Amino acid sequence: MRIARQSFLLGLAASVVSPKVLAFGQAGAFHPRVLITGAATWAGPRVRAPERWGWELVRRTSAPARAVCKTVRAIDGSLFAEPFCIWVGEGDFPPLSRRELRQLGRFIALGGVMLVDDFDPAGGAFGRAARRELRRVLPESPPVRLDPRHVLFKTYYILERPFGRVLGVDHVDAIVRGNNAQVLFLNHDLLGALAQDEAGNWAFETESPDPMFREQAARLAVNIAMYVLCSDYKDDQVHAPFLMRRRAAR
Amino acid sequence: MTLADSTWSFSEDFSPFWVGCVFAVAALALLLVWLDAAHTERRRALVLLSGGVATVALVFAILRPVSVVQRSNNVGSKVLVLVDGSVRLRIPSEGSTRRARALGVAKALAGTFKEARLTLLEFSDGALKPLAKGDDESGVGVGVESDLTAALAEVGNGAEEKPQAIIVVSDGQFSHPGKEDDLARITQLAGGVPIHTVSLAEKDPPDVAIRAVRAAGAAVAHQPLALTIEVSCTGGAQCHEIPVEVRELRYGVPKALLASGKAQVNDGAGKIELQITLDRAGTRVVEVAIAAPDGDSIPENNSRVIAFTVTRDRIRLLHVAGRPTYDVRSLRMWLKSDESVDLIAFFILRGNEDDTRTTSDSELALIPFPVEELFTEHLPSFDAVVIQDLDAVAYKLARHLPALARYVESGGGLIMVGGPTSFSGGRYAGTELERVLPIKLSSSEKPFDLEQFVPAYTDSGRAAPVLRGLRDLLGEKLPEMPGTNILGVPRDNSLVLWEHPRLKAGDRSMPVLALGEAGDGRSIALGVDGTHLLAMSELGADVEGRGFGALWDGLLGWLMRDPRFEAARTEVVGECLEGQKTTLVLTRLPTMKGDISLTLERLGATEKELVTRRIVNPPPGPLKIEFADLKAGGYIAKATIGSAPPTRYDFACERGGQAWSDTRVDPERLAKIARATGGKSVVAEDVGKLPVPKPAQIASERRVEPLFPAWGWSLAAAVALGVHWLVRRQGGLV
Repeated sequence: MRIARQSFLLGLAASVVSPKVLAFGQAGAFHPRVLITGAATWAGPRVRAPERWGWELVRRTSAPARAVCKTVRAIDGSLFAEPFCIWVGEGDFPPLSRRELRQLGRFIALGGVMLVDDFDPAGGAFGRAARRELRRVLPESPPVRLDPRHVLFKTYYILERPFGRVLGVDHVDAIVRGNNAQVLFLNHDLLGALAQDEAGNWAFETESPDPMFREQAARLAVNIAMYVLCSDYKDDQVHAPFLMRRRAAR
Repeated sequence: MTLADSTWSFSEDFSPFWVGCVFAVAALALLLVWLDAAHTERRRALVLLSGGVATVALVFAILRPVSVVQRSNNVGSKVLVLVDGSVRLRIPSEGSTRRARALGVAKALAGTFKEARLTLLEFSDGALKPLAKGDDESGVGVGVESDLTAALAEVGNGAEEKPQAIIVVSDGQFSHPGKEDDLARITQLAGGVPIHTVSLAEKDPPDVAIRAVRAAGAAVAHQPLALTIEVSCTGGAQCHEIPVEVRELRYGVPKALLASGKAQVNDGAGKIELQITLDRAGTRVVEVAIAAPDGDSIPENNSRVIAFTVTRDRIRLLHVAGRPTYDVRSLRMWLKSDESVDLIAFFILRGNEDDTRTTSDSELALIPFPVEELFTEHLPSFDAVVIQDLDAVAYKLARHLPALARYVESGGGLIMVGGPTSFSGGRYAGTELERVLPIKLSSSEKPFDLEQFVPAYTDSGRAAPVLRGLRDLLGEKLPEMPGTNILGVPRDNSLVLWEHPRLKAGDRSMPVLALGEAGDGRSIALGVDGTHLLAMSELGADVEGRGFGALWDGLLGWLMRDPRFEAARTEVVGECLEGQKTTLVLTRLPTMKGDISLTLERLGATEKELVTRRIVNPPPGPLKIEFADLKAGGYIAKATIGSAPPTRYDFACERGGQAWSDTRVDPERLAKIARATGGKSVVAEDVGKLPVPKPAQIASERRVEPLFPAWGWSLAAAVALGVHWLVRRQGGLV
């Protein structure tokens, strides 16, 4: 879809001129904003991964994505400007402030979607800390394991399990409110699989050297983006018989 | 005629009892006189005579007899003529109507009953009213039913003089009493007054008619509705099978055939069940027509025009989007959260040039965009279609745009939502679909503008109920939009609710949000792709994201003619019948201000505006607006209040409606009523044979005068007593 790619490039150009200006059609484009809490900063080898995520989305699908991704602080009002953010990091972190907790609760209440991922899946300290804080935000909604048939695994690609930089666990946990999984818990370092250095080389090796391993991670990233953009569209009855045949054929 | 009757009375002021007492005392006195006279031999006869005279004189002095003169008048008997005034009597027949015949009978009765006091009234389904002199009057208040029971009850309950006779002029086809009703009720209501009847016709006219149209349950959009159509052949008309067609009357386009069949006729009656499906909710006007064989003398009842109120179980909505965005997401999630919406969604997730990095499509959860299937087979099943940022050419929608335009014109709803590939950017300019959009498009201009802006409310936007919910939440505030599609000038019958603060379309501000009517349908053009910012943005968060729902609730509600988003409600008072005045009642929302314009147009292929009424500075409260001389058919009344979007109301007007469905006469029923009440039944030509009741005698004057002055009676009594005393003295009795 050329328009999406044109918009992507147009948005990239516009961001150079003025980071505030968005091209027509870009305000609704997928934008994996990085959530910053407390004194955390956004730096390191994964810093370009959100743009790569957007690029993968634009090259593979008709969906538009922001060419330049931003960070958003949990205490900022701009948290509510868009319906998606990713909360990633490594290691434990101090409890969130009351304002941060209130803001995150409001973001979820407005229908926002959040992805939580740990750069160090083996240790898992960040993931545990994030779950701890989100339990304070949404005490009535504990995380549950998503069914392998959940729409997340068929929003664009038909996936059997999650992938990231590491193989990790074979499932995704989520906080589900109503019919919507609003907080997705990965433990696979998805951004690690997508991150590139300035020269365009992959910033990290994946757990398996098989190129399909990283490809599966990219496909999960696309599916997550499509889930954010289309919600449970692929659960519509009109798709059901078709997807059943596809799964049966695999 | 005046009569005088003279008589007299013993006393004016003594009751008969006291008169008797006086006579008893007098008799005793005479007895005493007679006994007393027996004691004398002299002048016995004279004593008896004078004693008798004195006693009589004393009695008269006490009672004082009077003369009584009574004068009386003879007046003509009161006769009430009740003429059937229902619309059924206006059925055309052999160059005239039963109504004209009834008026002739009334005239003849006036001659026959010239000695009587004749009151001519007509009855139908309301209160009795004086008989109108002509049959071409406006028809205001002409009833549909012939309710003789209510008419007699009104006569019986009235405080006026009871009539000596009632004459009913009718064809015998009463609504009440029904055919099965006991005549005892009529006899009771008559209260001993004889009811004479005049039958307007003796034979049924040859007629093929639609006797009744019945629906099995309520009409629900998209669901089959069984119509039972009863036909009749009476009066010697010859029928075996009668073709029946059911068509929907639509605005600006020819009638659409919904169903057809043939009713088999046995013993003069036939029945057929036809299934129709009305796809649009709201008031839909349907025509049921039969093709009558030769010999039908009353073709006026060969069709019925009926308005169905079509409800919808759920709004069936098709949402197609050219690419998934946050705007698409917000709209989908809002639509999915609404239990009243049955959402069918198709989003283009992969373009032809996208690289999915797969070796087989089996790795993808994608299905082909079923554009052919959606926009041919299934299109009529949708109440509304939302097209969001979809390139018409790239996704093969262009070839279906004429069908989509016809879909809107036949009552469907359409919303085109902005985006880089919407409107001119989606290559819709110059297509058939453009003509049903509320704005014009130009393919020569750039398709969109990239400058950020905040849409501005127009006066219509501030007045429109469709945006009231949003304005209640955010007032004049709207989020900053990242550019807009270039929209042209609004079309006729369109209203702009949001406009661009800088860009122009012609010499006016460019529309950003516009509403329009197209045929029977409605369409909305929303030239931005940022309404999701009402759900998720700092401004949207201020009202917990409710602004998005408020906007789309209004837009979808207006598209579906939800009364909450209409400026006013319009209704017909009673039934609309051809040739009679039709009254519409317009009830405005309390918040709606401004002058009123009410336009009446006919449904069908002609789009000719019949009449427009303008009311400047209308008073508060419901308004009654009258229209005369409406022909049978379907109508739409469009009411515009101030600068708010117009409100549409569809209604049906019939020649005679159900009242004309049965043209048979029932002289036997009239005869039964006459027999039961002691009256006489005659045909129209024999009204001279009806018995005229005797005149009633009424007392008008009674004069009482003394036969003799009181002092005279006293003097006479005194003299008589004096003479008697002298006679008795001479007789030696003193």
